[in-house]
Amino acid sequence: MHELLLFASVPTHQHAELLQQLAGLTAMQPRHCFERRLIFKAYRKPGVANARVGASQDLQSGDLQRVNKMLNGGMFYTQVVGPVQSTDFADAGVTDAAANANPNPVNPDPDTDTKMDGMDSESSIPRSAYDFDQQSWQLEFRDIPEAGTRSAVTSRVMATAALPRGDIVPSMNAWGYSFVTEYLVEGDMFIHNDIVLNLHRVLHYPTTPGEENQPRHQMPTLQQMAPLEKSGSYVLQASMMVQDGSNQETMKTASQHLFGLREQLKSAVRLEMADRLSLDTRVK
Amino acid sequence: MATLTNDQIKVLEQSRQRLAQLTRSLGSLIASLNQSDPLPPWSSLQSQASIISNNLISVSEQLSDHRDLLSTLVAYPGPEYPGRTQANTLEQLLRTKLDPRVEDWVERGRIAGTEKPPPDTFAIANPSLAATAAQKQLTEADLAELWEWAPIEANEEARRRNWGGNFTLEEREAGIQNVVTGLRKQLEDDEEEDDEEEEEEEEDEGEEEMEIVGVHRKSGGNGVEFDIAPHHAHPVQPVVPLSDILRYMTTGRMS
Repeated sequence: MHELLLFASVPTHQHAELLQQLAGLTAMQPRHCFERRLIFKAYRKPGVANARVGASQDLQSGDLQRVNKMLNGGMFYTQVVGPVQSTDFADAGVTDAAANANPNPVNPDPDTDTKMDGMDSESSIPRSAYDFDQQSWQLEFRDIPEAGTRSAVTSRVMATAALPRGDIVPSMNAWGYSFVTEYLVEGDMFIHNDIVLNLHRVLHYPTTPGEENQPRHQMPTLQQMAPLEKSGSYVLQASMMVQDGSNQETMKTASQHLFGLREQLKSAVRLEMADRLSLDTRVK
Repeated sequence: MATLTNDQIKVLEQSRQRLAQLTRSLGSLIASLNQSDPLPPWSSLQSQASIISNNLISVSEQLSDHRDLLSTLVAYPGPEYPGRTQANTLEQLLRTKLDPRVEDWVERGRIAGTEKPPPDTFAIANPSLAATAAQKQLTEADLAELWEWAPIEANEEARRRNWGGNFTLEEREAGIQNVVTGLRKQLEDDEEEDDEEEEEEEEDEGEEEMEIVGVHRKSGGNGVEFDIAPHHAHPVQPVVPLSDILRYMTTGRMS
């Protein structure tokens, strides 16, 4: 699959207005989402992990075959993404016990994200405390954007695969990937025809000793998270997926749709293609 | 059969003169349109049109003032009329019906006058007709055109002004006590009462802020474009460039 992208930097003072403008453009209310993003980095030459995964016959589902293929194609950074909800964050002042005592947790936004396969079971657990073992994960592989494309959109090969729940690090280690760091993406999502618009920003976890080298098992309060961009600016990402990237016709149509959107939003934000090297996922 | 009095002859003579003037000015307009190439300047056309318009008004007044006399007059040839040599004129004078062509004109004029006079042409030709036309309702197309035109025009007008406060500069210069607002509430002039305003500003900040959204015609086609990029008093530009954010999101490192 291919992914076509345009990006724009949105200063913090423009954020609220842009949300309203996008809501008007897309005729939908913003979907507020949080995503845990874990970054893994390949440490092993490709091909070594082949035999090991192939040996376990029961794991040869279609997804895993795909994962296997994408993980052994080269040395890449790859991301493991887990959707979380606002109720998953520790609530300042509410202890675990208090949360357990409450049989019906207030769940203001039951479907935060379309990608939340199987999140229903988690949201029905009657406590607001975050359960790391039930966290669903998804592996997102992104290639470095194609070089020398004449059209002014960022285009790259992408693949996604579901991963087992809970602690993902042992599995990733087995594939030859080590944990680098993690951050949280907070933002709003819109759908405009075939384009997904994400207006999001990166939030840092507060540093707690001992948790830097593995994914956090507990979530801090949202207030403790600090934006990567100190001024609080957001990134607007317009993306479109193309099933068959080798079909020039569909790629052209897709980029024309993106250009159409760029034209529509021209007076509000400037959507541009990203610097190719800033999206370089190769391990050097 | 009464012979005409001197007064009545004078009326006829006046009508003849006014009609002759009208014919002359129409003739000169036609001649100038036909002969001069390029067309004469608009100012001269305008003045000719207004001359014709005045002529028409005076003819119309003359005819309606002496309507009683003119509608009862009957033409007949006297014994001394040179019927042999002036047969054509005689025929014209003795016509009881209008020439078919003229009848068409009159018909068209009547229809245009009673139904929907195109305002531009009739405003010049006959001000009273134009006045009745103004009271008629606009057609759908006219309304659509008006709606298309008005918001852009109003917006452009609005953007020429610096908004804020209850009175315009013109009104303030002329003295605000003379302004007819039509409101029961007493409006305050902000500029003269700065202290008070500052207190108020804290209270209703954000309430009365109005945003002027720009709108202008698209350069290459139909429709309009909106300048929705807001203008903020204190913009905060991002410190970290977009490429660094993307790099961090990809690899977890800023550089």
